[in-house]
Amino acid sequence: MPSELKLHKEKHIQYIDSLDKKQSDFEYWLSEHLRLNGVYWGLTALSLLNAKDTFKREDVIKFVLSCFDDQYGGFAPFPKHDGHLLSTLSGLQILATYNSLDALTVIRREKCIKFIKGNQLPDGSFQGDRFGEVDTRFSYNALSSLSILGELSSDVVDPAVDFILKCYNFDGGFGSCPGAESHSAQVFTCLGALAIVNKLDRLSDHQIEEIGWWLCERQLPEGGLNGRPSKLPDVCYSWWVLSSLAVIKKLDWINYEKLRNFILQSQDEVKGGISDRPDNEVDVFHTVFGLAGLSLMGFDDLVPIDPAYCMPCSVTKEFKVYPY
Amino acid sequence: MHGVKRRQWNQELLEQKKLNDAKNINNYRRLTSTILGLKEKKEYSLDNLQKSKELLKINPEFNAVWNFRRDSIIALKEQLEAKFWEEELDFVMAELKIYPKVYWIWGHRVWVLNNYPGSPVSIWKRELLIVSKLLELDARNYHGWHYRRIVISSIENRTGESMDKEEFEYSSNKINNNISNFSAWHQRANMIPAMFANNEIEDKKKFIDDELKYITNAMYTDAEDQSVWIYIKWFLNSDIVSNTYTTEEYVKMIDDVKQNILIINQDDLDFSGKENAWCLKMLIVIEEISKRFGSQEECRTQEYVKKLIEIDPLRKNRYLHLRNKT
Repeated sequence: MPSELKLHKEKHIQYIDSLDKKQSDFEYWLSEHLRLNGVYWGLTALSLLNAKDTFKREDVIKFVLSCFDDQYGGFAPFPKHDGHLLSTLSGLQILATYNSLDALTVIRREKCIKFIKGNQLPDGSFQGDRFGEVDTRFSYNALSSLSILGELSSDVVDPAVDFILKCYNFDGGFGSCPGAESHSAQVFTCLGALAIVNKLDRLSDHQIEEIGWWLCERQLPEGGLNGRPSKLPDVCYSWWVLSSLAVIKKLDWINYEKLRNFILQSQDEVKGGISDRPDNEVDVFHTVFGLAGLSLMGFDDLVPIDPAYCMPCSVTKEFKVYPY
Repeated sequence: MHGVKRRQWNQELLEQKKLNDAKNINNYRRLTSTILGLKEKKEYSLDNLQKSKELLKINPEFNAVWNFRRDSIIALKEQLEAKFWEEELDFVMAELKIYPKVYWIWGHRVWVLNNYPGSPVSIWKRELLIVSKLLELDARNYHGWHYRRIVISSIENRTGESMDKEEFEYSSNKINNNISNFSAWHQRANMIPAMFANNEIEDKKKFIDDELKYITNAMYTDAEDQSVWIYIKWFLNSDIVSNTYTTEEYVKMIDDVKQNILIINQDDLDFSGKENAWCLKMLIVIEEISKRFGSQEECRTQEYVKKLIEIDPLRKNRYLHLRNKT
C-alpha cells in the first residue's frame, strides 16, 4: 500500500467534465435512462469539490427542463422517456443546487406535486410510477422531492412514516418493504426520509442503538463498508452507511482512517473517478458517493454535505423545515 | 458499475472498440428513436412489441421501453393468444438469467404474472419453483428473495393457506447449505413469529428447544460469522421464547447459551491466541438480559468492552459508548 494516499481532486473534476464528451462510446448511449440521475451525481460531486462551475449552468437547467414528462408529470431521466420518482428527485435536486426551482412553470410545478402525491398508495408506501413497484427508495424520493419543493403535508407524511417504520427489521436495519431483508442503502432511504420530515423521534433509543450497531458492523477489516452481512465492501456504502450513522449521530462508530484509505485506493489515479473497490472500472455514481463519504468524515477540505439530502449543506439550509 | 475490472486500453484495443461501438451506437440509436416515436404516437401492435423486445435485449434497463411494452400489452390484450403470455415469461426469464440484478426486469415479471389471464395459482406455484432455482445460482440475491416473498404472498392469497411452515423449512435448507446465508436467517426470523401468531406450531416448547439446538450447533459451526450471531441475538431477546418458556426455563436457557459461548471463546483463545469478538459482544447482550431477570452474578461488561476495544478497534467508539452507558 502506498504510504501517502491523496485525493486527486483535479483528476476527478476532469473525469466528471469528460463524461458528456464520450458520445463515441456505446456505454454513453446505453446509460441514457440514467442521464438525469447521472447529472445530479456529477453536479453534486463537483459541488463537493468546489468546482460547480465546471458544468454550464444554463445548459444543465435547459436539459433538466427538457426531461419533464408533461403527460404524467414528474421528470423522466431523459427527454421522451417516462416520469418516475427516481428521476423526479434528481431533477429537483439539480434545480435546487442551482437555486433555480423557479425555472419550473407554475403548471409544471403543480403537475410534479400531483405526480409525486399520486404515487402514494393507501398503506402509505409509494410506487415509483403507475406500474406498481413499491420500495422504500420511492418513499425517500417522494418525501425528499416534496421537501425540496416545500410541499410536505401531514396527510402525506404521516402514512409515509408509518409505512417506513414497518420496514424496520429485528436486526436493526431496514428493508425495501415490510418483511424484506435489511440493506444499507434501504437504511439510508428510511432514515434519510425520517430525518427530512423530522420524525426520527418515532424510533426508540433502543432501536437507534440497534441501528447503529448493525451499521457499524458493515465495516470490514480492509476498511470498506458492505451493504449486508457477508458481502464485499463497496465505495457506495461509504455513503449509505455513513449518512445513516450521521443521521442518528453515531458517525464515529466506524473507523475513519481505514475507510478513507479504502476510498482513496479505489481512485483511478490516471484518468480520475472512483470505482466500487480498488482496481475496478470507475463511474460517476461511485465517484460522488466516495467523495460524499469523505466529506461527511471531514477529510480533504471537501464542501460539507447534508447526510439526509445528499446535497451540499449550503443548499439544504434554504429548505423549509417540516412541520412548517 | 459494480464488480467490473479496470482495463488498460492500448491503442489497438481502443481502435477496435471504436469500430465496434460506432456500429452498435448506430443500431441502438435507430431502434431507440423508432420505439420512442411509436411510444409517443401510442402505436401499439404485435410488430412493435417485437421491436421493443429487440431494444430491451440490448438495454434491459430502459424503463420507458418496458412501459411501452406494458401499455402495448394492455392495448392488445384481446388479440393476444394464450401462448403470448408464456413467451413473455420466457423472454423475461432469459433476461433475468443474464441480468439478475436489474430491478426493471423483476418488476416486469411481477406485472406479467399479475396481468396473465386469470392470474391462476398454478402459474404462481410454478414461479416458486423457478425462483428457488434462481436462488440456487445466487443464494443471496436481494431481488430474488424479495420476489420469492411476492410469489409466496400471491399463492397464499389465492389458496387462503399459510406457507409459513414451508418457508421455515426452506430457510433451514438454505442455511444448511451455507450457514452464512443471512437472507435465509432473515426469512427464518420472520417465519417463526408468524407461525406462533397463526397457531401453526403444535408443541411450542419443543419447537423452541429444537431451535435452540439448531443455533447452538450453528454457533459451533462458524463462530466468526455475524449472520449466526445476529440471529441468536434476536432469538434470545424474542417474545416467542420468553412467552413460551417459564422464567426458570428461560434463565436456564440463557445460562446454557452463555456457557457455550464461553467455551467457544476459550477455544478461539487457545487456538489463535485471540478472543472471539462476537462471543464478547454476545456476552454483553446476555448480561443485559440476565440483569433484567435479577441475576446476582458479577457484571463483567466493562471487562468485555476493554477487550473488544483491543481486538476489534474498527468499532472502538461503539464500545466506548457501551462502557459509558453501563
